[in-house]
Amino acid sequence: MSNMEQPGENSHSGMWAQPVDTLSAGDMPEGLTAINIQGRRAIGALQGFGQLWKKTYKVRLSGVNRSSAEVMQIWKENFALFQPPGNRFYLPSGGVTPGKIMWIDSPLPVAPPFYDKPGLVPMTSGVMILYADDESFSVMTPEGFPVSGWNNFSVYEEDGSRVAQVQSFERASDPIYEFGFRFMGGAARQEFIWVHVLTQLSNHFGVNGQVTMTRECLDPSIQWAYAGRVWQNAGMRTTLYKVATPLRWFMNFFRGK
Amino acid sequence: MAKTQPFSAQVRQTGKAVTIDLHGEVDSFASDRLHEAYAEVEQFNPPVILLDFSDVSYINSTGIALIVGLLAQARKLQRKVYVYGLSDHFITIFQITRLAEFMSIYPNEDSALADAAAFG
Repeated sequence: MSNMEQPGENSHSGMWAQPVDTLSAGDMPEGLTAINIQGRRAIGALQGFGQLWKKTYKVRLSGVNRSSAEVMQIWKENFALFQPPGNRFYLPSGGVTPGKIMWIDSPLPVAPPFYDKPGLVPMTSGVMILYADDESFSVMTPEGFPVSGWNNFSVYEEDGSRVAQVQSFERASDPIYEFGFRFMGGAARQEFIWVHVLTQLSNHFGVNGQVTMTRECLDPSIQWAYAGRVWQNAGMRTTLYKVATPLRWFMNFFRGK
Repeated sequence: MAKTQPFSAQVRQTGKAVTIDLHGEVDSFASDRLHEAYAEVEQFNPPVILLDFSDVSYINSTGIALIVGLLAQARKLQRKVYVYGLSDHFITIFQITRLAEFMSIYPNEDSALADAAAFG
């Protein structure tokens, strides 16, 4: 191995996922379906349909005498536990590891006033862990996921105290999701989730942290070229999969499986 | 432990294009300077923006998100964004994040400028 390292090569290489053409279900938790992961491509914030939003959620962990890396380690370990009721996250075996799938089973909302309650439309999918280091990690969405883009989770020091942050760069993946985000409580639900997670994190450290949120529309345009993604809509596909469950049981019974 | 290199950026006009020379580590601490640099670029109203990664030592996912934000702003105004000076590792990152589908990648400034001259 050469002693000469190119810029950016070196120890940082292992922090990123390896490039893959399509995602693989791998170690899927029991009871979930891989239909919205297996064979799907991971996509970024530029490959979706709706308006591109950058949202930043922060909570100051005043008085917490832990390093950023220690706080992040605890956050990673409890990531699923900090989710609101109905929002089930499944960490991969081995924890937050680049390239692995974090599975998500989270019903989508259909009624704006009830954004803080679990939704009604079943949605099983996941996100690929794109990057992870001691003080941050990021996830990237697959095709068909409600949003296309990234979420970054980080802990850093600011004015002498730790700050935990969630930052999303994402847009609705298809026209149905865009409608849901704008008119069915989807955006409010999404914001509720990350405020809840940061509140739980601060409570974990005994801090009554106040979560702040800023949103910025980076691109107000709609990308009609991606309207066809509606056929990959994970909410619709999960719903159809669940509706067809008795039929699959019936057919498997007669096939002797 | 590797010594950290604070981010800096310089803006210069190069023919039809405007180049942002990026230096150091592109992470959350790069945000303010990168936004300032982009604002400087806008004053030239260029059809093409070049990002020079030759002297970038590190980029994390927050840094990639910053580049996405810059790209989104440029695309709103029909500007092209070209990139050059990427190491093999950075090219891989651009492929994983699928940024490579939206930004033309060149090995060096000359090849990027040649294409920029042909654009518009």
